[in-house]
Order: sequence, then C-alpha cells, then structure tokens
Amino acid sequence: MIPFQFITAFLLIFMGLYAFLYKRNLIKLILALDIIDSGIHLLLISLGYRLEDGTLPTAPIYTGYETLKGTPMVGPIPQALVLTSIVIGVCILALAMALTVNAYRHYGSLDINKLRRLRG
Amino acid sequence: MNVLPFLIIVPLMGAFSMPLSSLLGEKARSAWAVLVSALTLAVASKVFYDVWSTKQLLVYTLGDTTPLGKGVGFPIRILWEVDLFGALLALIVAFVAFMAIIYSLEYMKHDTGLEKYYTLITVLELGMLGIVITGDLFNFYVFLEIMSIASYALVAFRNDTWEGIEAGIKYMFVGSLASSFILLGIALLYGQYGTLTMSYLAVKIGQNPTFVGKAALGFFIGGLLFKSGAVPVHMWLADAHPAAPSSISAMLSGLVIKVGGIYALTRIAFSIYGTSINIKTVGWIIILFGCATLIVGNAMAVIQTDMKRLFAFSSVGQIGYILLGIGIGLAAYGTKVGDIALAGAVYHIVNHALMKALLFLVAGAVLHQIGTKNLNELSGLAKRMPFTSFAFLIGAAAIIGLPPLNGFASKWLIYESSALFNPFLAAVAVIGTAFCTAAYIRVLFTFFGRPSEVVDNAEEPGKAMMLPMLVLIVAIILMGLFPWQINDKIMLPTVDMLKDQLHYVAAVIGGA
Amino acid sequence: MFGYWDALYFIYVLVIGMLIAHMLSRWAEKVSMGTRRSGDGTKIFISGEDEEKVIPQFEHFRGYVTGRHTMWGLIRGIHRMFLIFRREHNGLLTDYVAYLLITTAVVLGALVIWG
Repeated sequence: MIPFQFITAFLLIFMGLYAFLYKRNLIKLILALDIIDSGIHLLLISLGYRLEDGTLPTAPIYTGYETLKGTPMVGPIPQALVLTSIVIGVCILALAMALTVNAYRHYGSLDINKLRRLRG
Repeated sequence: MNVLPFLIIVPLMGAFSMPLSSLLGEKARSAWAVLVSALTLAVASKVFYDVWSTKQLLVYTLGDTTPLGKGVGFPIRILWEVDLFGALLALIVAFVAFMAIIYSLEYMKHDTGLEKYYTLITVLELGMLGIVITGDLFNFYVFLEIMSIASYALVAFRNDTWEGIEAGIKYMFVGSLASSFILLGIALLYGQYGTLTMSYLAVKIGQNPTFVGKAALGFFIGGLLFKSGAVPVHMWLADAHPAAPSSISAMLSGLVIKVGGIYALTRIAFSIYGTSINIKTVGWIIILFGCATLIVGNAMAVIQTDMKRLFAFSSVGQIGYILLGIGIGLAAYGTKVGDIALAGAVYHIVNHALMKALLFLVAGAVLHQIGTKNLNELSGLAKRMPFTSFAFLIGAAAIIGLPPLNGFASKWLIYESSALFNPFLAAVAVIGTAFCTAAYIRVLFTFFGRPSEVVDNAEEPGKAMMLPMLVLIVAIILMGLFPWQINDKIMLPTVDMLKDQLHYVAAVIGGA
Repeated sequence: MFGYWDALYFIYVLVIGMLIAHMLSRWAEKVSMGTRRSGDGTKIFISGEDEEKVIPQFEHFRGYVTGRHTMWGLIRGIHRMFLIFRREHNGLLTDYVAYLLITTAVVLGALVIWG
C-alpha cells in the first residue's frame, strides 16, 4: 500500500501543475510554484520516516502515529534538505514577486496571456 | 595543497564583498571585480593543470579528511569530486566570465545598480563552478539553483525595459518548474537508495536498478533538457538571451546552458547511471531531441531580424550538435565511434563557449555604439567599425565550421561519428549546418553591404570592450591551428575519464 | 585516428542526399500541373504560365522547367515549415509549460518502456 503522505505529495504536485496550465494570473502562478515545491518537500520529509525493525521512528514534528520510547529517530538528512530547499523557494518567491510588480508596471496587467510581445 | 575549495571561496567572498568595495568608489569596485575573476581563473587553471597532469580525480570532503563515515563503508558527507571534464569546464567558465567582466566595465558604464550587477555576475560564475566540481546530488541542486536564480535576475536586470521583464518572467516560471522536476528526481532517488553521493548512488543503482530509479532519470532528463534549451523547450532561451545585457548573454549562451544542462546531463547519464540501465535508450532519446534541436534552432535563426535573437537561436542549434554527440556517445557506449562522438561533443562545448561569447560581445558592441540590433538598419557597418566586423567574421566562420578555425575540428568529429553511427543522422547534421550558414551569411551581407545612414557616425568601442574580443579571437585562431593536438591531449583523456565509471566510484569509496 | 579516407563517408551521405533530391524532383514533376521542360532561361511564374503572377521578390528568377509545383513546391514547403515554427513560438507561458510537461512525459515513457 502506498502511504497516504506520498499520495498527498503527488496530489499537491499535480494541483500545482494544473494551476500552471489553466490559470492566467501571475500571482496564482507564483502560488502554483509554491504548491509544487511544498509537494516535493512533503515527499522528501516523509521519505525520512520509514519503518525500521517493525517499529515506527519518532519524529518531533509528526504526530500521526503513536511514539514509543527508545524507537529510532527519523532520518535527519531529508529535514536538512527541505530546510535548504525552503530557503531556495523563498528566494524564487521574492524574485518572482519583484518581477511581477515590474511586469504590472510595464504591461498594466497581471494576465500572463497579455505578456506576449516576444514571439516568432 | 588542495586548491579546490578556493574555486568556491574566492568568487563567493568576492561576490558578497562587492557592495562593500563599491563604497570606496567606482574604480575600486571595477578593480575588485576584475581581481576576483582573475583570481578565480588562476585557481581554475591550477585545478585543471593538477587533474590534467596526474589524470587522477580530485576529491575534497567538506568538514573532514575522508568522505566515509566512522565505522561504515559508505560516504555520508558532502564531497566535491572533479574529473577532467569538470576541470575543463571550470577553466572555460572562469575564462569566459573573466572576459565578460572586463567587457562590462565599459559596456555597463551607463547603468545604475552596478554593485548588484557585479555581485550577480560573480554569483552566476560561482554557481557554475559549483556545478562542475560537485559530487553530491543535493549539492548539485543547490548550485544549480544559485546559478538559475542569478541568471533570472540578470536577464531582468534592465527592469526599465519591457523586454527584460517579460523574458525574465517566462524564463523564471518555467525554469523553476524544471528545477522542481530535478528536485523531484533527487527526492525519488533518495527515497529509493538512501544516499545522495553520486558515486555511491552509482554503486547502488548498479546493484538494483528499479522502476523508481528510471523514473528519477526521466525527471532529470526532462528538467535538464529544459535547462540546456533542447527543442520543444527552447523558447525561453530565444526570449531570455537577447533580453539580457550583452555581457550576460555571452555568459548565458556560452556557459549556463552547457554547464547547467549538458554537463549535468552527461554527469548523471555516465557517472551515476552508466550501464546499469539500458544505455541505448537514453542515448537515442538524447539523439532524437538533439536532431530536432539542430534543425529547428538553425532554421529559426535564418528568419530573425534581431541580431541577438539570431545568435540565441543559433545557440539552440549548436546545442543540438552537442546533444547529438553526447547521444551517440551514450548509444554507442564502449565503441570507438562513441568515443569520437563524445570527444566531439566536449570539444564543441569548449569551442562554442568561445565563439558564442565572441559573437554576443560583437552584438553588444554594435548595440552600445549604434543603439539598435535590428539587422535591417545596420547595413554597411564594416566601413565604420572594421575591428568589430572582423571579430564577427571570425566568430561566424568558426561557428559555421570553416577549416582553419576551431569550430571545424569539433563539428568534423561530430559529423564523422554520426556518419559512422547512422548516415541519416549525418544528413540531418549537414542540413542543420546549411541553415546555420544561411543565417550567418545574412548577417555578413548586412555588415559588408551598402552603408545606411544609421551607421554613418558609428565609431569603434573603447579599449575595455575591444580587449576581450581580441583575446577571444586569438583563442579561436590558436585553437584552430592545433585541432588534432588539442583533441589527442585534452579531449580524449577527458572522454576516457568521463566514461570510466569504476574509477569515479573508486576515488570515493575504494580509495579512502 | 583521423584518416582523410573518412571523408568518403561524406560522399556516401552526399550521394544518398542527391538520390533523395532527385526522387523528390521527379515526383514533383509527375504530380505537378502543366510542367514542361523548356530549356534554360525560362521565366518562372508563381502559377506556371500566368504572366501576371510573378513571385514577389523573385522576379529575376529563371529556371529550366516551367510549371506550377516543380521547384516552388519545395520552397513553399520550407516556407511553410518556417511559418509553423514561427507560429509555435507564440509567447504564451502556458504553452511553454505544456511543452516542458510533454517532453518530460515522453522521456519518462520511453525510459519506463525500454529503460
């Protein structure tokens, strides 16, 4: 059986992709980018949470299962990775916002279909 | 002494001390930027010489002396691992970035916010250097994002023009999506194999190539084809590269698409996956994308009226040749044809970095002196700007592949190997070159045609813009004089090291 | 490793290309309307014989064969190819994303089936 957090992660990714294909507002596209990133982060974080010797590991941030004393901890690497990735995501978010403001200044619209002077 | 960490330390420190140095005035900032990039070039040359003379991989572990964990037999730390391919690209990156920084001293003089500009350009260089030296998959992703964010920001640097903003937005949104695919691939690989070190992943995948591993490779190839500008996803390139300032276009077209796309693709396909999956399939996928890229990129270049856009489409076409060479190298893995193709691809990466940098610098000089890049208005430039026209002539002849220049050798290797591998591919490559020739001859006729009134008062640019062009011309001619020697001395050892997956793994796991 | 005899492969490729070109031209002559061989220096009109319709910007062109499709079929084909490429590059972000997704899906599919 596929764990539900993986299903949720891929649902989030597909939600983001749907928004990317069918939404036209730049702010919504930024949100879509963030949702895709969140999906991948959820996938990464839940990868560190795996069954060892039949017992579930303890995770300070995850309370869906009962925790036992002396059980193994979750893998620390995915959390470090996600932390780094969140920082990168924030960078992209900030830059995207700045560009969106500038685009509104030049085009007077946030509709992505209006930003098509470059073609051919 | 292992100088490898200084390849990152020098540009990183230089980049973020740039605003401080600009407090001391404009001259100090320029001197600091040139000094930092020159130092980086020196370090990169040292790294290249070390790797080239010993033919050994350089391994550097962050925070320890050995990559292996205590009491366990596998690497647990972030490590950098440089083979000859990485070192060669590091040298080219440092060289072209140095040229671009000298060029922008004069080219960008009239812009504001220059301390941010120099910071970003050094960060861009840093990201590329990081990609070529890293041996850890997540570290690779971080450097890829550093490079990508710097290039998004630089494409939109002139935010008072609509062109830069629109190109920046398109590049950034789709580029972030492609980066997300790469991160998804990394997450899948980590979930399956529980490690991020490239060489240890190679061992693990060799033991047990699973469905998830193949899916991860699919995401990698999809994302990296985008980053390298292969054909169905090349449109951001044609928008973004002309919109950036010309010194940045030279770096984007000459370096970013190769380091962020082609190098990473090659490293993942050869060093991580290698023969543990069906290498013929991977090769043919890349060959087919390469053929499409070659035809569409060069054909689109023919019908452009904007000079920089023409060069950008020509970059797409040249990426097609490189992808074709790498694809044949994968599909004919282990045979002599594959070696020749791969040598041609590596050679063409280096050559194209020099040629396209030169061409974009020429376009920048024209844009700077005359203020337009529309080919219909630039007729008869050669009388007023002879040096710039000569530089263009050299660059165009080299990119078409005329024999005494450097483009000839690499293109010849690619044609030869594709003819040996499959004559149909060679025919496609020759058709692509026909389009490429047509495109450049158009520009040539524009330059040497009847003078129009726009160019009447044109003058040659200043020394800081001529010097990088001159250096690049000399490099192109010198490399064109000794093509087979360079091929035997540098490219073939590079290919040998690139293909040698066992050695790549043993340098981390077996050696320590 | 680079013998000059390797150039023979290019002659081989060239011969294949010329064969294909010859077959194309034979086919074009056969299917076109009113094609005649009328010797060197024949003026070329866009619609075969109609003197009113000269091809714009190519008024000075003279060929060997007159007729509707012989030569211009190929050139129109290339022109249409340019038009299609140009139309595909339409500046819509949605399309760029769709191309990226299609590329990734194609690569994924190929790797899953034959990998």
